[in-house]
Formats: sequence, structure tokens, C-alpha cells
Amino acid sequence: MHGYEFYVDPSRCIGCQSCVKACEECETHRGKSMINFDFIDRSGTTATAAYVCWHCEEPTCAMACPADAIKKGEDGVVQSSLKPRCIGCSNCVLACPFGIPKVFPELEQMMKCDMCYDRTSIGKRPMCATVCPSQALSYVRPENITRRREKPTNVFYFGKQKIVTRVHMMVPETSDSVSLDVLDYMWEESDVAFAQPQ
Amino acid sequence: MSLLRSPSSEPLWKEEFSVFTADERYVTRRQFVKFLSLASVGMFVGNLWILAKAYFAKPPTYPASAIAEVGEIPVKGVKLFSYPGPDDRCIVVRTSEEEYVAYSQKCTHLSCAVYYSAKNDRLECPCHQGFFSIKDGSVLQGPPPRSLPKIVLQTAGGKLVATGVEVSENG
Amino acid sequence: MAKPPVSAESLLERFGPHPAYTPPGGWQDESRNPADRLVKTHCCFCGQQCGIQLKVRGNQVIGFEPWEEFPFNHGMLCPKGVKRYLQGGHPDRLLDPLLRTPQGFRTASWDEALDFTASRLLDIQEKYGKDAVAIYGGASLISEKSYLLGKFARVALGTRHIDYNGRLCMVSAGTAYKLAFGVDRSPLPWSDIPKAQVVLVAGANVAECAPITTDYLWRCRDAGGKLIVVDPRMTPICRNADLYLPVRPGTDLALYMGLLHVILRDGLERRDFIAEYTTGFEQVPESVRSWDPRTVADKTGVPPESIERAAHLFAKTDRAIAMHARGVEHQSKGVENCLALINLCLATGNIGREGAGCAMITGQGNGQGGREHGQKCDQLPGQRSISDPEARAHTAQVWGIAPEEIPQAGYSAVEIMEAIHRGEIRALLSACFNPLVSLPDANFTQEALEKLEFLGVVDFFLSETAHFADVVLAGSLQEEEEGIGCAAEGRVIHIQKAVDPPGNAKGDSWIYCELAKRLGKGKYFPYASTREIYDELREASHGGHADYYGITYEKIDKNMGVFWPCPSLEHPGTPRLFADGRSFHPDGKHHFVVTEWRESGDPVSAELPIYLTTGRVVSQYLSGTQTRRIGGLVEQYPNPRVEIHPRLAEQHGIKDGDWVTVTSRRTEITLQAMVVKTIRPDTVFIPYHWPGGRSANRLTHRTLDPRSKIPEFKVSACRIRKAMVAPDWVKNAEAKPALPTKGRP
Repeated sequence: MHGYEFYVDPSRCIGCQSCVKACEECETHRGKSMINFDFIDRSGTTATAAYVCWHCEEPTCAMACPADAIKKGEDGVVQSSLKPRCIGCSNCVLACPFGIPKVFPELEQMMKCDMCYDRTSIGKRPMCATVCPSQALSYVRPENITRRREKPTNVFYFGKQKIVTRVHMMVPETSDSVSLDVLDYMWEESDVAFAQPQ
Repeated sequence: MSLLRSPSSEPLWKEEFSVFTADERYVTRRQFVKFLSLASVGMFVGNLWILAKAYFAKPPTYPASAIAEVGEIPVKGVKLFSYPGPDDRCIVVRTSEEEYVAYSQKCTHLSCAVYYSAKNDRLECPCHQGFFSIKDGSVLQGPPPRSLPKIVLQTAGGKLVATGVEVSENG
Repeated sequence: MAKPPVSAESLLERFGPHPAYTPPGGWQDESRNPADRLVKTHCCFCGQQCGIQLKVRGNQVIGFEPWEEFPFNHGMLCPKGVKRYLQGGHPDRLLDPLLRTPQGFRTASWDEALDFTASRLLDIQEKYGKDAVAIYGGASLISEKSYLLGKFARVALGTRHIDYNGRLCMVSAGTAYKLAFGVDRSPLPWSDIPKAQVVLVAGANVAECAPITTDYLWRCRDAGGKLIVVDPRMTPICRNADLYLPVRPGTDLALYMGLLHVILRDGLERRDFIAEYTTGFEQVPESVRSWDPRTVADKTGVPPESIERAAHLFAKTDRAIAMHARGVEHQSKGVENCLALINLCLATGNIGREGAGCAMITGQGNGQGGREHGQKCDQLPGQRSISDPEARAHTAQVWGIAPEEIPQAGYSAVEIMEAIHRGEIRALLSACFNPLVSLPDANFTQEALEKLEFLGVVDFFLSETAHFADVVLAGSLQEEEEGIGCAAEGRVIHIQKAVDPPGNAKGDSWIYCELAKRLGKGKYFPYASTREIYDELREASHGGHADYYGITYEKIDKNMGVFWPCPSLEHPGTPRLFADGRSFHPDGKHHFVVTEWRESGDPVSAELPIYLTTGRVVSQYLSGTQTRRIGGLVEQYPNPRVEIHPRLAEQHGIKDGDWVTVTSRRTEITLQAMVVKTIRPDTVFIPYHWPGGRSANRLTHRTLDPRSKIPEFKVSACRIRKAMVAPDWVKNAEAKPALPTKGRP
């Protein structure tokens, strides 16, 4: 928004959880952090990953919502669920291929990252990308990301579902998309195989 | 929504309940409430305007109009005339040698034309048995809610002249 | 007798730590009562000194906002910086001075507390001599306060014993750099890091201890740079390392001498640079002759091929940087380790140029500034030596006393505690230091504290050391006094005063001036504000190496910080040292200092076959007095775990989450195991931010580096065994220990 894009690079993440702490200071969901932070396998590695909502162009969570509570605005940001409409059914939690929405049972409501809408809508940067000390989460102009050796992509394949997102994932230079299902690479499945590494 | 949809692979519910705010077709609750509030405020303002209009209204001026010759109507006789406008039907009754009274003929109930009953010495409405006093047009009986508006009469140059309308405040 | 007046449980209940989770008034309060100003200042925690803005409403800090324009961190922060604002209105905050009674602590008036403190100090000095009183300062104090403490010790108390908790941090590097370069400061600004072609990170857990430096390393790699990491553990930056050297604890010296051996063997040194800019090289080849890769591999556990590769990477490039932190410095060979790294840089011509050099990563907030202006037992302002007659004359003139009145050098921090233990020092006034948690051999520290006739503490929370105090003077947080500090890269920064101290708490500088008055030396401490102290500091440092004369608060604000030395108001500051090829030595040359191997002070043995190393976690800071009171940080890593490799754990029948007793030559503690593959199988790791039964420092030892007097925190000997019952400390912990979590904290 306003000429900036969001880039996520888990290989840079150092597990400090600064994003998790700063997220709950933002104004739209004070006190609750919307960052999805994971230790991938701490017993084997220090690798960690922090994810925000990917703000898909056609958000699966919104499509799956029976109460029409999730909306995507014209600026491309998928908002958190509308308070009067959400019934806490967790359909979106199950539907999202990235596992982003969280249902808070005490509020009977789903809440998720809205790209710090109170900040990004007025041209400021989201809290997580501002504080991240390793810039695993960054919110910069596209020309500033080209100095990295990785390149950004926003195309994901989940089996037959192609998802184009607003938030970019940094991938190796030779990749064009992120594909997590072996079907996407198999010759036998070539009628549905979208993802061929270039 | 048009009853004729162009062919589309999207099911109807997806179009009607779009997840994209730009494509939303149903009015949201907020929009509706805003509309209601606006309408309500509008009506309130409208009422204020009407109130103001009435409060600051000038008393109406009426023309002088000759309606009959003095002596033309017999005692206990009536004449019908129009005052102040051609559609304002009125009735004048000579109650005695010297006295004439005139009223609007529109019954204040449902606007039927009232007539003078010499036998009962009152104005009567044939539709629903509403009776008005000949003295001041007040309601004697029946459904009419208000008195008949009284036509102010003067004599001038041998003629009976209507000069105004008195509307009472209540019935 | 300095013993806690009542039980630890009742002190903990009254004074905390009680973790705080929400801003003052609750999460929604800010939307009803918004902040009325943003104050641009710096983080109160580590030496990176990230720029941050504090949201202030009235006299309270209620939140933070990133400060994106500050060039060091561009708005980036670690979780401690994000949550620091919760300290101001914290329920545990000391709002009044406290005096000890048999029933516990009672609040007192300032007059009562200060009178009592001064009279006790004077009494003890009269009975036992001036040097029976010692002062502990700290490296989180703004430079004005550390300068003030140095003057207070020598002028108001006339004691030679003043030292600070930076003795546990930077002194090895400081001593080494002074020997090699004549000055104690990181010679290059952090902006040089992305310009290097090779960065060697030695003994530095950058991701957890200096998180913002991670971005500088990643940008170096983006530009094609290579990263070499030396650490017994695989810390988060190791995942992106081009070469990882898993050095055995305490053997770094062999490794760096081995690298130099390979460089000299293969003729990769820069002979013309060495000839023109250095001295002392003649003895160097002989000193590393026996450290061939195979010998080094036996000693360090690093494969010979990795040693060869590291040496070639470092030497065959135009610009290389060697960065180091406590991993190499917290050893009885700490000075030697740093000298060996410096020798590598000097031999390869990597000094004084953009993108090339060596750098120490100062850990504490004002660790750099706090070791420049007299808070050290052997130092006078401007990084001058207390034994140098010229320095004494200049300082005495600024202070308004005769040079003879300045005492000579005193004991360093651990030595002070040892002197207390044997009864030589009877009184201690401690500020910004929690020795019971931070000093090695915690049981020894506790015995020593109990022997004190008087313990006075200046602090804003009741720390574990303060449990033993006779008087606690309620002092100020970093955001409550204006001043300057010096960040790790040598950039002098301006700390803004955001609010006044709450309740009856006072600014620390007021406290010392008032004490000085009662000690009869008020006329030497006439300051109405910290700004006046700073102006005197500028005078006192003028002409020394750490020359602050040309730095003013306004100049710092205008230029986003000024690097020292800055000898005049027109001078722009000195981001890169030695750019003209000259060191700060009188001969202008960089000195090679030969290093010689010796064993660590607490060697492993048959009974204690495992190396114990200690360190930090990203969510806690130093002794935890501040960060154990912040709920989100406590939850991130609630209690110390002992990191054990699966192979070692299996040998002892230990699974992840089991209670494990770790025993050293001092004592033993019991903690939950964290079974992870990211540590050497002959080593265990325990973070040290917790007190009592959770304190890693109960296990560490008091062997000091002979030159720097730093304790050897990183190398101890221990054994482990599975424990059958949970330890007692579980009852009083800020957060209950979790169930086994597959290696997660």
C-alpha cells in the first residue's frame, strides 16, 4: 500500500519474537498478538518462522465464512472478521491453507492480522515489519528488495488450488512460486501440474 | 439485481455475498441505519420547517365579495355562494329580518354539503347526522370534529358582502 | 549485619517480581486517554542503544512507537525494547526510600535514609579506614551518573574501591584493545559491516544478545559477503553461516592462533601493511608455530579443514571484519583471545578502512560510556589511567582538589566481593548492579553480603541483592533523567528525560549529590541538573582518548549521535578510528601482542567431565531485575533450562523436560532439561538471568583473567544427573515451569 509491499523471509528469522510483542501494541487488536510464530523443530534446529496473514487476492477464509464476516477492501487488505457477524465457527481457521486465522473462544470471534490497518492505511509501516531486527518481516518498496539474493514470489500452489497473495514470500532465485504438494510436480498429474521449477 | 443475469461460472450466492467490499450489493446494516437516521432527521427538520411556517404565517387576507342583495333572501331562507374562491362552497341563512349568518358548507366531518333545516333551526349534514348550531356553527351532535368556519358578513350599499372567514380553534 | 530482614517469600510477595502485562490503565485506556507527546530517546537495555520513541501522557510512559529515522536501527527493536515501557508504572516500583527493620523494610523519608547512609559510611570509615567502603556502579547508568560515581568515590568518600558491573562485560576486550591500539572502543561504525566481504563472528550470540546487528550481517550476505561463526552452540545466526566452527569452551585461543598459523604458513599476511603500520610482529610467527591445524583440532574440536578454510576466507579477501563478544571474553584468557583476534586483523591489514577491522560488541546499555569516565577502579575520565600523573593532575584540577587526594587504583568487582568476604571491606554502596545474580560463585557472594556491616542500594526495583540491604534508596529509571550514553559502535547518543520519577523516587544524580553533602563534600557536587554534570564531564574528558569536549546534547540531536573522540565543537566526530593509519599509542603504531596458551581456571576432570557454559536469552536482560517483571518477556522464556545434546542426555537417561541436577565444584542446581542438537555433546548451557536456586552463577567460579579481572563465566566443569524431584524454587518462580515441550523453552 502506498508504494510499499510486505515481504516474508523465514530464513532470516532469529526467533526473537519482537514481532509477536510489537503486534499486540497496534491499535486494532490491543493486547492480542496476531503473529503466527513457530519453532520449526527446536530439538533439532534453532530455525523459527514468523508469519503474518498473506492477504490473498481471493481469500479462502472469506469464501468459507458462513456469516459473510470477512471482507477484503479495495486496497487489498483482508480485514479481520466483522464483530457483529462472526459466530466463532472456525470455518476460516480450517479453510485457510496457511493456518492464519485464530478464534478466541472468550470473544467468540476470529481475529487475524490486518496488516496493522490503523498504520498502513495512513502510510505508516506495520508494527512487526518495523521492529523485526533481522528484517525477516519487511515492508519496503519493491526496488529495495532487489538487493537481496532471494527473490519475492506471491504465487502458491496447494494441490489444485492456486493462491495469489498480497504478501510476498522470499524464495530462491530459481523459483517462481511456492508449491507444497508433490502432485504439482508429477508428470502423471500434468493436467493439474501448475508448478514446474524453472 | 437484474432478473436476467449474464452467464457466469460463479454461483449466485458468491456474487450476492461478495467478499470484496467493492462488489458488495447488499446494503450493510450500517448503511441502512445511516439511511434511517438521515431520513428521520430529515423528517424532523421538515416538521420544524412546517412549524416555523405556521408560527410565522401572516393571517390570511380575504377579498370582499358581494354575495346577495339585502332583502333578496326571505327570512329563514338560504342562498348558496362561493367564498373566497370558486370552490369554497358556502351557505347564508337569513335567521331574522335583520340577521344573516353564513358558514362554509363543507361539513367538517367528511366534507358533505350541509343544508339549513328551518324546522330544527340548525344546519344539518345529510351524510352522518351531524348537526351544527345556526348561531355560531358549533357542533351540536354527530361525528363532525370542529365548528363550521364562519363567514364574516357586512352590509354595504344595499348588498351583503362577505369579508372574511373565521376558523375556530377547536370543535 | 546485612542479612535479609524477613524471609525471601515475604519480600518477593511485597516487592515482586510480579510480571506486568498491560499498559497503565489497561489495553483500551490509550484510546480514551491518548498520549500527549512522543519522546525520542533510546532503549534502556543493551549496548545497541536502539532509537525508540516513548508515548507519554502526563507523567507516565504508556507505550512506545518506533523511531524510524534513527540511523542505527531504523525503527527496529527487540522484544525487550518493545515492552520496556511497562516498567514506569509497574506495581513493584520503589516509590520511597526503605530502611530495614526486624519485621522487614519500612518506608522512610529522604532525610532519614540519606542521613543514615552517610552516618554509617562515615562511621565505618572512621573505624576501619577510608578503603573499608566500596562503591559498585553499573553500565546501564548514563555517563553523567557513572562519571558522578567515579568522582563520588574519590572525592566524597576518598576510597580507592569503585568498580562496576561492566567488569563482567567489556574489560577483556577493553584491555586487549588498549594494549594493541592504545584505546578502548570499537574502531568501526556498524555501517561498515555490510561493506565487508567476510565477517568472522567469534563468541557472539548476535541473534539473542544484539538482535539488530543481525540485519547488518544479513545485508553483508546480501551483497555477497561470507559469514564465519565460532560458538560451542548453534545460535540462530549459524543457520545462515557459510562456515560454522563449534569450538570447545575455553579453547578459542588455540583456534585463533591456529588461523594465524595457517595465514603465515601460506604467506597470506600483508607484509607491507605490517611493516608500515605495526610493531611487534617479529615474535608472532614463533608464538603460533606449534598451532598447526591438527594440533588445534585436537584442542578445540574444530576439524582441520574448517580451520584451513576459515583462515583462507579471512585472509584472501580485501575487507574482513572480526567481531567478538562475551563468548571469547568471559574467559581467564579473555584478553589473550581478543589479542589473538586483533593479531589476525593486523596480519591481514584489516584495520582503519571501510568494511575492514575488528569490533567488540558491547553488551550493556552504556557499557562503552560507562567504562570511559572513571567508574572503573583504575580509571579517570576520558579513559585516562588513575596512575598517570598527568591524568591525575588534569582531573584534580577539574574536580577542584589536589592531585594527591585522588586515591590510587583499587579492587575490581569480583575482588571487592572477595575483600568483603574476608572482612577487609565493611560497607558497600551499590547502584545499577545486582551482584547476587551477576557475580560468579553466588553462594560466596551471599556469604560476603551477609558479612557486610552496611549495605546501601540505589535501585528502582527491589533486586535480590537489595534483600540484604540496610537502606534502599529509591532511584530513577533511564527515562527519568536526561543524559548521554555511548553505544556499542562508539556513537554518543542522547537519552531524553520523558517523565519525572514517580512517588518519592528521585533521580540517582540527586541522591549522590545529597549524600556527598552529608559527607561534608557538598561543594564539589553543586549540580542542579545532569546537564551541568555533563559539562563538567566534557571538561574532565578533554585531552584524553575518550574526548567528549566537542559533543553537546544539541549536537547529538542534530547529527543523530556523534562518535568520539570529538575534541572541539567544530569537530564532526570520529566514526572510524585509525583511518589515518595511526593508533592511539605514542608511537602511532598498532601493536602485535604475543599470546600464550594456558588452561582454563576450572578444568574438566574425571568427576566433572562436562563443560558448563553460561549466557543469555533474547527475552531477558542481565540479572532480570527489570525483565523478569515484564509478563510477555517472562512467558517467552519463563525459567532457565539446561541445554543438553541428545547424545549426552541419552547417556544419563535424560529426556526433554526432565529435572536435571547440574553440579560444579561449588554447588549444584536443578533445572529442566532442554534436549537439543544445537550444542556440543560435551557441553551444557544455562542462561543466567535468574536468582537463587535458578542461578547459573551458583555454579560458576571466581577465576579472573589476570589482566582484565573478568570472571571466567564461559568455562566451568560440571557433571549432570537426572533428578527425581522438582526443586524448591518452583514455588517462588514468576511463571510455573512448563511440561516437556520437545525442546522448546
